[in-house]
Parts: sequence; C-alpha cells; structure tokens
Amino acid sequence: MRGVTSDAPATAGSPTREPAVAVRPALSARGVTLRYGSNPPALSDVTLDVAPGEALAVIGPNGAGKSTFILGLLGLTQLADGELRVLDRTPAAARVSVGYVPQTAGLDPEFPVTLDQVVMMGRYRTLGWRWPGRRDRAAVHAALERVGLSEQHRTRFGRLSGGQQQRGLLARALVSSPRLLVLDEPFNGLDQTSRDTLLDIVRELKADGVAFVISTHDLDLARAVCDSVLLVNGVQVAAGPRDDVLTLDNLERVFAGHQVEVDEHTVVVPPHDGHA
Amino acid sequence: MTAIDWLFSPFALPFMQRPLLVMLVLAVALGLASVMVTLRSLQFVGDGLVHAVFPGIVIGFAVGGREGLVPGGLVAAAIAAVAFTLLTRRALASDSAIAVVLTVMFGIGVIIVSRQSDYVGQLQELLFGRLLTVTDADVTLTVAVAAAATVAIAVVWRTQLFRAHDPLAARAAGHRVLATDLVLAVAVAVLIVAATAAVGNLLALGLLVVPGAAARLLTHRIGWMVAISIAMGALAGFGGLLIGFRASVDWGIPLAGGASVITMLVVIYGVVLAASMLHRHGPRTAHTTADARGASTAPAPVPEAAR
Repeated sequence: MRGVTSDAPATAGSPTREPAVAVRPALSARGVTLRYGSNPPALSDVTLDVAPGEALAVIGPNGAGKSTFILGLLGLTQLADGELRVLDRTPAAARVSVGYVPQTAGLDPEFPVTLDQVVMMGRYRTLGWRWPGRRDRAAVHAALERVGLSEQHRTRFGRLSGGQQQRGLLARALVSSPRLLVLDEPFNGLDQTSRDTLLDIVRELKADGVAFVISTHDLDLARAVCDSVLLVNGVQVAAGPRDDVLTLDNLERVFAGHQVEVDEHTVVVPPHDGHA
Repeated sequence: MTAIDWLFSPFALPFMQRPLLVMLVLAVALGLASVMVTLRSLQFVGDGLVHAVFPGIVIGFAVGGREGLVPGGLVAAAIAAVAFTLLTRRALASDSAIAVVLTVMFGIGVIIVSRQSDYVGQLQELLFGRLLTVTDADVTLTVAVAAAATVAIAVVWRTQLFRAHDPLAARAAGHRVLATDLVLAVAVAVLIVAATAAVGNLLALGLLVVPGAAARLLTHRIGWMVAISIAMGALAGFGGLLIGFRASVDWGIPLAGGASVITMLVVIYGVVLAASMLHRHGPRTAHTTADARGASTAPAPVPEAAR
C-alpha cells in the first residue's frame, strides 16, 4: 500500500501528498548537514520525507554529496546539524531494517564465495551464533527467486555478469526483509534486460510498502520508478515531487559546467549561459 | 624396513611426538587464520606482526629465560596487533607505516639480543625455533594458545568474511567491523608467538601465509579452503619432521626441525602452484565470465532528458 506522510509539516521541499492516513515516514530529514570526521560538511540543509512505498532519487554531479547522503542514512557519516530519522529511529539503530545495495564495481571478482553465500551474508545479523537453518535457507531461496537468480545459486559470485551481480546484492539486501532499501548507482553499466528486471523488482517492492532511496546519474531511471527527487550540489538545490524538481532550470543549476557520467558515456553540460 | 615403518616409526619416539603434536595443533589454528589472512589480504600486516613481536620475545627471553619468551611475545603481540589495526584503518600510506614500524621493532629486538652473552646461539634459536627440543610445558602452552585463538577467529569469522568481500555493506548492515578486526589481529599475533616458540620468528610467517595462499589456488569454496589449508600445514609438519629425522639419523645430515618443516611447506606450495598453472593454461580453455559485463545502453544526455 502506498503510504502517505501526514504528521510532518509540508515544507517547501518535501514530497508530501495529501495528508490522509497517519503513516510514519520511512525517512525524514530536517535541515540535515552531513560530514566525514572533522572535515567541512559534504552536504548541507537537506529537508525531505519519504513515505513507505515511495522512491526517492538522489541526483547530482560527482562529489555533490550523493554518496554522503546515502552513507548518512546508513549511519556511516556524521550528522553535523539537523534531524535525521530513518524508520522513526536514528540511522544506526535502524540498520536492521535497512537494506543497502552498493555498486558492484568495488568487489573482487576472484573472491571465493558462491551467490547463495553472498545472499546469506544478508542474514548474518539475525543469525547470531546459529548455524543457518531451514528458515534461513528458505529466505535465501526466496530472495534469489525474487531477483530471478534461483538457477545460479551455486555459481561463484564473481563469475556472474554485472547485472546478475547487482541483482545478487539486491537479494542480499532483501533477505532480511528491509523496509527501506538504499541503492547506490544501481544501473551503472547494466544491460537493458537487467535494467528492466531491476525496475520491475523495485515496482513490486514499492507496492509491498518498501521505501527506496536511489542515487543515480540516470534521469530515465528517476522518471521510471521514483516519486520524488533530491537534487544536490553540496547543498540541497531542490527536493520534492519528481516533475517539480526535474526542470531544465534546476538541472542546469546543478550540472552546469560539470562532466556527467551516464553509464559509460561522459556528457559535458554546457555552462548556464552557453548556447546549448 | 617397510614404507609404513619408514614413515611412522620415528614418531614412536617421545621426543618426536611432542613436536608432531605442536605442529598439528599449529596447523589447525594457523590453517584457519591463514585462510582469513588471505581473504582479507593481510599478508603484509602478518609480516609486520611477526617482526613487531620479536622484541617482545627477546625482552621476555632476556628477563625470564625460556619461560619468559611467550609472555613477552604475547604482550608485544597485543600491542602490535592493536597498533597495526588502527594504523591500517587510516587508509593513507598504511603499508609504509607498517614497514617503518616492523623495521624499527625488529632492529630493537636484534640490539637487545646482541647485548646478551652467547649472542649467536640465542639469535638463532629465536629466529629459527627449537622444534625438536620442545618441552611438555611448551606443548601445553601451544595447545592453550592455539585453542583460544581458534575460538576467537571462529567467533569473528562471519563478520570478517562479509567484511572481506564487501566492507562498506558489512558496516552498513551494522556489523562491528573494527571490533572484529581487533580480535582477528590479536588472535593472529598470539598464534605468531606460539609458532615462534616452535619454528622460530622468521618461519612463523610461512605458516601464517603459505597454507591459505595455496588453498586459494586450488579452490573457490571457503569450506574447502579451510580444509586444504589445515591439511597442508599438517602435511608440512609431518613431512618436515620426518625428513629432518631421516636426514639427521639415517643420512648424517643435521637438519633443524623448523627449517625442514618450512622447506616442506614451500615444496608443497610449489607443487600446488605448478598444478594450478597447468590447470589454467592447459588444454582446457580459461574460465570466462557467464556473459559480457556492462553492455552499454545509452540514456539520453542530461539536458535532453530534461526537456
């Protein structure tokens, strides 16, 4: 069911719809400023809400604070100012119910683990001291089925294609039944089939009430599955319903003069006053 | 004499049983540790620990004689393990930091040893161990230390495996990565001390690094890696002691037990390496990935998409 935020004040930047039923937002940020250690803030002044079943796209050039925001949701960057609530808890306390899907690029393709071992890692927190039991294996199986990789469960993770690895990491996040999924550039370098599969899965999970935060360069993706958009460039440039935020004017403010990597292509956005 | 006799009769002698037991116990504990050291790519940290533990062993030896060796080493091991774990967390120049620390520590150790009487004999014993003259007390201590370290590594195994594959995701899932890093480092350092007493400081590194690396060449399954790693250490211990005995007793060539164990380990590794290279470059074609990565679809450039 689509959730709707109601108790949060409808600030200028928040992707709130008509208040109807009181549902706690999956994610609530008020003037959030994040930094690494004692460095100056990497991202400032983010204010938004994401309701259960909604997806937020985080868009901005490289170094604009997309990763900072994502790590902030996971409690891995320092909250310098403002209030950040994830599933009505502090980010660190919410980790059990948050699934994180990183980019596959950083993973060693030779690492000796099978796909089902990787997915089982998503259950290590709940396993504790136990040896994985029938329920754990069933959960792994269900997660792999959901992402369409049941057949490959015994395959070494590094031998899967880029798209299959991405779906495998999604299964690892799904296996602990998260209520918020955080995806970091999920479509980088994916073929069309894997893109479509991933988009279908996101739509299904949204219908089940799972909220999403997806960092991306890919505006098509934002259009396809995201309800709201956070546009960043070191600070929040705009946040709100997708079509209100993704205006040419806003995008040029953020990307002007920047190189934008879209999959394997690099696009240079002309400066604001240049003849585009 | 039958082949069976030739292989096993030396181990009927009590002075051969103790070193064999020590080697088998170390094979299990270091075999497990070696797999995780390989998966985490901590070989250089292991090297740093081996050298950093040395002055502790020397000081313990200087103060309390042979009984002081392990306590002194354990203190140094704990300090070095914590220091290296914290140093490597600051990603910048961690290798140089380790290199500087290990060189300085090793130098301090050698200086202290050189102040002792019978400098050469003691240095040799500390560097190359005295496997064939281990006492019952040595055996008891080794078993206790190895058991404790094995339990500690088993406790942090899952988190370390997750972290080795995907460190950021492990932290994001709420695993206590730093805490388990410290446990692993201290366990490895303590095992190095135990191994130093048996095969010496320099050769302890071989037992820590080689079995896991060889197992990695032979299999892509974690469970098999652990089994192969342990079996390899055990085989090197058995074979090394046997060859050392036969060389000294039958052939009149005095061989140090620790040295023959490590030589055996390196020989096994060489065979494994050759076998895996033949397997990879032999008649069978090289492994290819299931399908091509990163087929490109080209979304519209940003300004277009906005229109």
